[in-house]
Amino acid sequence: MNNYTNDNTARRYKAHVSVLGTTQIHLRNPYIIGWWSAAFPGFGHLLLSKYLRGYALFIWEVIVNIRAHVNLAMVYSFQGNIDLAKEVLDTRWLLMYIPVYLFGIWDSYRTTVDMNKIYLLANSEDHRFNTFSLGAVEMNYLDKRNPVISVMWSLFVPGLGQLYIHRILTAFFVIFWVVVFFYYSHIQEAVSLLFLGKVQQATSVLNPEWLLFLPSHYGFATFDAYMNTVENNKLYEEEQKNYLKRNYQATGFRILKGQKVK
Amino acid sequence: MISLQLFSTYESNAFLEIAISALKKKGIKQEDIFAVPLDNRTEERKVFDSLHRSDGISLVDIGMALATAFSVVGASIGFKLAWGPIYWGLISAFIGFVLGFAIRLITELVLKKKKRVLRGKHSEIILIIDCKETQAELIENILWNHFALGVAKVN
Repeated sequence: MNNYTNDNTARRYKAHVSVLGTTQIHLRNPYIIGWWSAAFPGFGHLLLSKYLRGYALFIWEVIVNIRAHVNLAMVYSFQGNIDLAKEVLDTRWLLMYIPVYLFGIWDSYRTTVDMNKIYLLANSEDHRFNTFSLGAVEMNYLDKRNPVISVMWSLFVPGLGQLYIHRILTAFFVIFWVVVFFYYSHIQEAVSLLFLGKVQQATSVLNPEWLLFLPSHYGFATFDAYMNTVENNKLYEEEQKNYLKRNYQATGFRILKGQKVK
Repeated sequence: MISLQLFSTYESNAFLEIAISALKKKGIKQEDIFAVPLDNRTEERKVFDSLHRSDGISLVDIGMALATAFSVVGASIGFKLAWGPIYWGLISAFIGFVLGFAIRLITELVLKKKKRVLRGKHSEIILIIDCKETQAELIENILWNHFALGVAKVN
């Protein structure tokens, strides 16, 4: 059940509320979106709510990176051990990694610039869009949420911030992969050992290849949750103001010019 | 009957709409309710500030980006250091975030000489209710009970 049925009378819409989430076109910094694609292919597209592209690039990254040992080579390179880095890279997988990695950055940058133009046009057109969605499996509506709470849950476990703001398609994906990365990196064992003060042992139990996926996963999940909370709040306010203007500005209404009374 | 108007200001939230529906239930007609959404100065400034930047996130975007980048490098080098990759990953993430945040603060506060931004709650909507004097107290109570920021009666 939606409170508005898209009759395609608008040339461009700036938002859509569905049971799976609130999709919005808003102004974004193309360099920041490009950066997240560089941190992890697919993240830029997920930030833009282009899920299928994002999923494809993300899964590509995990498979090809692990097979080619790109992360391991990065660890060795950062440690200054270039010979070991060269040795560990698997040339059977390596070359195809590069074009797709660069494509992810370029395409998300390009799309952001494009979508910013679309936003300006959609915003001046300011057409009505669906704001309430009630279905058998979920419900979603425009609402104000606290960005700090989004960040807090994202820092506990990436993906929870997205659940909080009803960004289901990102939430499920991020949570699935965080479990994979937690498991294969052995990070939770290492954290337990750190609590016991066994630092050496904690280091040796970690798998660097899988561990290196985690910082960008945390960073992305937190940033995505925060940004979308803020943007959803702005959308809520805009929509409410438009609603009030449409319904509560009768032409016959006259302001009294008397005195303020107690 | 003496006519009276109640002026009130609200934040933009669901309570405002609940207040309106409560007023309608008490017999206030839709055309006797007048709402004026205010353009708040922060919002105005944001839209014209920059075309390519997502507002509201402006203070953390570089911070989050640098935190991630630093954390990857820090965790890698951490495998060789005494404290190991987790501590160094977290420390370098924190350093990256503070650095990025500082860069943003400098560009926003020093380079751009920002206009002062309103802090905390501020009025976003003015709501005016036209009513009879006898209803005034009831309506005033409804307005206050739904978190009006301020209410005034004018005759």
